[in-house]
Amino acid sequence: MNILQWLKKSPSGKALQGAVSSSALFGDDFQRRLEMLALVSRRVFAGRMRAERRSKKKGSGIEFADHRDYVAGDDFRFIDWNIYQRFGKLLVRLYEEEEDLSIYLIVDCSGSMGFAAGKKFDQARRLAAALAYVGLANLDRVTVLAVGSKLSARLPTMRGKKGIFSVLRFLEARSSQGSTDLAEAMRTVVAQHKRRGLAILISDLYDPAGFEAGINVLRYNRFEPCVLHVVDPAEAHPQVRGDVHIVDCESGEGRDVTVSDSLLSRLAQGYADYLRSVERFCAQNQVPYFAADANAPFDELVLKVLRRGGFLR
Amino acid sequence: MTLLGLPLGTLLELFAAAGGITLVLYILKLRRRPAIVVFAPLWSAAAGEKQSNALFSQLKRWLSLLLQLVLLALLISALGDPRLATVMRSARNVVLLIDASASMKAHDVEGGRMGAARRAAHELISGLSANDRMLIVRADSSVTPLTSLTSDLASLHTAVDHTEATDTGVDLGSALFFARDTLNGKSNPQVIIVSDGALPDFTTLSKELPADLPVRFVPVGSESDNVAITEFSVRRYPLDKSRAQAMIELTNFMQRPVKVQLTLLGDGDPIEITELSLDPQQSLSRFYSNLAGVDQTLQAQIKALDAKDWLSADDRAFALIPARRRAKVAVFSPGNTYLEAALLLDEYLQTSWLRPEQAAPKEPFDVAILDGVAPPSGLRANAVLYLNPPANAAIQRGRALSDFGFDSWDRNHPILRFTALDSVQVSTGFAFKLEATDHVLGSSEQGPIFVTGTRAGQRFAALGFDPRNSDMVLRPAWPLILLNTIDFFTQEEQRYFSNYPTGTPWHISVPAGFDTVTVKRPTGVSQPVSVKQGEITFLGKEAGFYELNATSAGGHWSSKLAADLSSKEESRIAPGKELRGAQGSLAKPDGFASGGRQQLWGYLLLAAFALSVLEWFSYHRRVSV
Repeated sequence: MNILQWLKKSPSGKALQGAVSSSALFGDDFQRRLEMLALVSRRVFAGRMRAERRSKKKGSGIEFADHRDYVAGDDFRFIDWNIYQRFGKLLVRLYEEEEDLSIYLIVDCSGSMGFAAGKKFDQARRLAAALAYVGLANLDRVTVLAVGSKLSARLPTMRGKKGIFSVLRFLEARSSQGSTDLAEAMRTVVAQHKRRGLAILISDLYDPAGFEAGINVLRYNRFEPCVLHVVDPAEAHPQVRGDVHIVDCESGEGRDVTVSDSLLSRLAQGYADYLRSVERFCAQNQVPYFAADANAPFDELVLKVLRRGGFLR
Repeated sequence: MTLLGLPLGTLLELFAAAGGITLVLYILKLRRRPAIVVFAPLWSAAAGEKQSNALFSQLKRWLSLLLQLVLLALLISALGDPRLATVMRSARNVVLLIDASASMKAHDVEGGRMGAARRAAHELISGLSANDRMLIVRADSSVTPLTSLTSDLASLHTAVDHTEATDTGVDLGSALFFARDTLNGKSNPQVIIVSDGALPDFTTLSKELPADLPVRFVPVGSESDNVAITEFSVRRYPLDKSRAQAMIELTNFMQRPVKVQLTLLGDGDPIEITELSLDPQQSLSRFYSNLAGVDQTLQAQIKALDAKDWLSADDRAFALIPARRRAKVAVFSPGNTYLEAALLLDEYLQTSWLRPEQAAPKEPFDVAILDGVAPPSGLRANAVLYLNPPANAAIQRGRALSDFGFDSWDRNHPILRFTALDSVQVSTGFAFKLEATDHVLGSSEQGPIFVTGTRAGQRFAALGFDPRNSDMVLRPAWPLILLNTIDFFTQEEQRYFSNYPTGTPWHISVPAGFDTVTVKRPTGVSQPVSVKQGEITFLGKEAGFYELNATSAGGHWSSKLAADLSSKEESRIAPGKELRGAQGSLAKPDGFASGGRQQLWGYLLLAAFALSVLEWFSYHRRVSV
């Protein structure tokens, strides 16, 4: 049963449908795409997701599912020695995970996400909704968190597809405002959620104190962070010239600059350097990183994330 | 530098006020446009800590102020209408005489001498200062002012552009005197002659100019080689009008011999092509004694075969052969065999024989012969030949004569041409009483017996005896006198010229009854000319054939005439590099440097505009911001 069918059968379906589908952000088209993603995600996961995700919980009380080739870094304990004895090939046994996965979708709701008509914020919410739906469809425990300079809102953990409407309403109700302090917000998140799991940070990472601190808080508290970096390439090429007084959209701090071609060139270079620094940090710390273009279709981004794998089963 | 607009003090005040306002506006802190950015640290990293206060930024700001002040200075300076000191010299009044005679048609310089003259004139006009005035005069056989004394450069340039050389000589005296009279009483007068310098009488003429009237000379032309047709005329033989005789004179103005091809065209078709050799400075005459078959027009053309002929205007000559006109003669006679026989000798006479008692016809006659009778009432004749006139004739009879003869006669008069009267014997006759204007053609010792003159506007010739009372009718002189008299009256009436010299007024008789004659020039341009006292007066400046047409209720009249340059003065095209006046050689004009009239305010505005465009481009193309 897909989400639309469920909506129709649900006693409170009309109310829910009205509450959600009236929004341009999560309209009918969006919901159809979610359903498609759920179907696609099942094909993507079949036979490959389990072994690619090296979880410490993988070996505990598990039903055999399949074999795959051994690759460097796999746990020796899962090597099927019988196969090795018979065929001389190293294969790893794959098991069904009995324990459900906790997914924390952490959406950056700071003012910078709402810049330029909120393209990044909309994209972040769509991505969060889509990933939440995929997670719910796989019976994972999904928690949606809104952060800015602190943890501003939290949607209680839920399982099953029926929870998607709560997710959509929750995301719909969020607005982009305030400053960014990822470290502080993440500290609150880890303090309030003792169950470790996959923490998907959906943010533009414009943190004056540095994006690294927030991610490190998740890492140091044994969460598995994953970064969906929402970027808008237009921010590297602002349409402004001459003598201006620039004002930060979050902090309100300003300074006088004379915008020239050379300055714009340096700005573009600085923006590119910033993106590379984020990617480099994530790579160095084995944090999955995805640059999500605010102008790209969200479903393609989700599929890209799912195909890359690492946080959904 | 002189200011014609606002005075310097006012300009300085204006600049101080406007510049002060501009300065204050610049000193005030620039209110920058706010721009919301997504992440200020990125901008800070790109801009650097001191970007907004960078030296170049400050420099641009002061450069901008400087630019504004310069713009302001340019605009305010334009209000002052500044002029260069050289431009502001005292006003000159200049008469520019452009030689438009035939020699200026020589093409020995680029564009021809007239083209060079026009270029020189344009340069002079461009060199006029703001207060100078100039009058353009075309000087050929007449003096034609092409403009008024004006400072309007456009009209001066236009007048020069429309100046063309003509097929005439130049009347330099009239041109100079016109210039003198025009400049009389004017400040800083000056006469400038643009010519090829072939002005031989200038030295004499210059003595009649005021000493304080400077005359300047701009020479044009470089070559002198020319061969020309200097004379050309044609006539019909008096006693055989079916044949014509032409005379042509060629002159070689070169310093070396030249071979010339001479082509004669009759009625447009070549009738003779001859090659002639002319020695240096030689004039060679050629006669064509038998031009049978040519009926109306004759044209001569020459072409130098082994030398460059720089003037082509004198390489052609035009002439009209006199028309073979039938003279209309009315004879009032009771019967005269000798008279009838004599008149039959000329086949071109249209003779009407009338009895004395017959009424005069209404049609006009060229000549009326009254054989012993008084003029009948209503006779319309241009001239009358009286033979033994009665007492009531217009000429008064004197005393009677008997047994007399011609003791003296005017051998040079056309009427008595080819005649011998010394042995003529007359039995009876009479002498005439003369009037002051009468001319005695022949007389006996006792008085004038053959006279000519005018009575009541009508010309006459009168013989004081009946020819039959003499032996003259038996002599060859009798028909000759009759026919000579008719020719004399008719030819003189026509006043025929085979060609008219260009540049002189032509007086052309027109039959009665026409008020206006349309003259079509060789160039094809037609011009109406009023008829006054039976003739039109016309000044033709182009060589070639002219067509005359007149139409009235009574009918149509057309005629043709030829005009020729035929002037050795104009064909002698050797340019004069200097012109000598009474006080020595004429100087070239000075003070006509190009740009003497420049008004700087236009350039100042242009500079301000260019600066504005530069600033606009710099701002909008993000060069300076």
